[in-house]
Amino acid sequence: MMNWTKQYPGWTMFGAMLGLLFFLWGLAIPLSAAPAPIGPAAEQFAEGARVTVWLTLIAGSVGVVLGIVAGMGKLSKFLPLRWICDFYVWLIRGTPLLLQIMFVWLALPTIMPEGIELSDFACAAIALSLNIGAYNTECVRAGILAVPHGQVEAAKALGLTPFQTFMDVILPQSLRVALPALANNLASLVKDSSLAYAISVVELTMAGYRVQAESYQPIPVFLTIAAIYLILTTAFTTLTAALEARLDVGQKR
Amino acid sequence: MDNQSPPSQPIIIARNVDKRFGSFYALRGVSASFSEGQVTAIVGPSGSGKSTFLRTLNRLEAHDGGEIIIDGIVLSDDLQHLDAIRREVGMVFQSFNLFSHLTILRNVALAPIRVRKMSRADAEAKALALLDRVGLKNQAHKYPVQLSGGQQQRVAIARALAMDPKVLLFDEPTSALDPEMVNEVLTVMRELAHTGITMLVVTHEMGFAREVADRVIFFDEGVILEDTTPQAFFTNPDHERAQAFLSQVRHGF
Repeated sequence: MMNWTKQYPGWTMFGAMLGLLFFLWGLAIPLSAAPAPIGPAAEQFAEGARVTVWLTLIAGSVGVVLGIVAGMGKLSKFLPLRWICDFYVWLIRGTPLLLQIMFVWLALPTIMPEGIELSDFACAAIALSLNIGAYNTECVRAGILAVPHGQVEAAKALGLTPFQTFMDVILPQSLRVALPALANNLASLVKDSSLAYAISVVELTMAGYRVQAESYQPIPVFLTIAAIYLILTTAFTTLTAALEARLDVGQKR
Repeated sequence: MDNQSPPSQPIIIARNVDKRFGSFYALRGVSASFSEGQVTAIVGPSGSGKSTFLRTLNRLEAHDGGEIIIDGIVLSDDLQHLDAIRREVGMVFQSFNLFSHLTILRNVALAPIRVRKMSRADAEAKALALLDRVGLKNQAHKYPVQLSGGQQQRVAIARALAMDPKVLLFDEPTSALDPEMVNEVLTVMRELAHTGITMLVVTHEMGFAREVADRVIFFDEGVILEDTTPQAFFTNPDHERAQAFLSQVRHGF
């Protein structure tokens, strides 16, 4: 499979995405054929899986942007910006994710302007984005540091502006280095999103928890959840592996 | 060797240029001017400041004192001046510094697209013509890592030429090459020298300096010790340091 991913990265990405969607929408059908306690609760599992995937996709994408911005910020020559980014990473890495989710859920509504209401789901997405963003920051920073200085000098000498140098030369080359680590964080995120249960977001783990509470049969329920998580992480890692293959050009092996 | 007529308006003027790294003086009051179309070989022992001098001319190193004027523009921290100068001054590096994530064609076409705002089609047509000129048209769709050192350096020359610079700076262009690849690069440079482009070549290739250059500058300990014709330099240098240097490198040619 890895060879195939390397040979056709574009198709693999497309396939993994399509597979993920099919899986999400079709999940209830095979599950409903399963014996109790799984069968009757098929729709609950499917709904929980959808919430988990949405949380992962949103926090994953926002987290990459945050990681790039803060990763640049940490390497900035402008001291206050560096302090802010250092503080952000220090704060997030130094506190439990569960606490961060609770904090966003409890504190954010009090400082939001009148009339804007944040759903539980939105609070979970914000907290997860901030969390993975901090971990991504260090991956992106490592990637930027790995770009040889000569590449930047060549871009400067050609007259590229600092912004063009960053977008055309530094960013693509640093992402190539950072991607395996970013993929690692994404795989963690799929499962970390389960902590959203604490603020009553019914994602996959919470859905399972409810089903087992009704049926008093935890083992088949948790086995089912574990299987669904495995399928989801496989889809996400296939996606990132394909992306990696796509960026992996002009490298020495 | 058609530059025996009195030089026209100098395109590069350096007056009393100083450069310090900490307490170490890399350049001490260096003054020199270069007229259009002149090919100058800059030689000297390592650490003598010859590369540093070259790198101050397109501000890869900022000079600490004195004045540098290129094509009538004073080199300073003013970004607009800097952009204007970097458009006119191309550079070829010792370690090639090709953008490793881009194909050969994109390497050459990038700066015209970004800096000269050329259309992609025009820039790539131009890039192909330049690659043809350095004998690498059939390698256009490969990545830098797939090429030999000599080929990469020829691409780097084509990349610098794509901006139609008035001045080309060469920073030890053959020093990182295997001996059998030195000649293919020197051949390209020899052809360039006859096109009327202003060339400053920091080099250890004394054969090239003697045969192709109109002028030889000898650096030692951050100052210009000799500034003369190749013939005078190689047959009868004024300074003992230059004589010692020549007897050291003479075994090579």
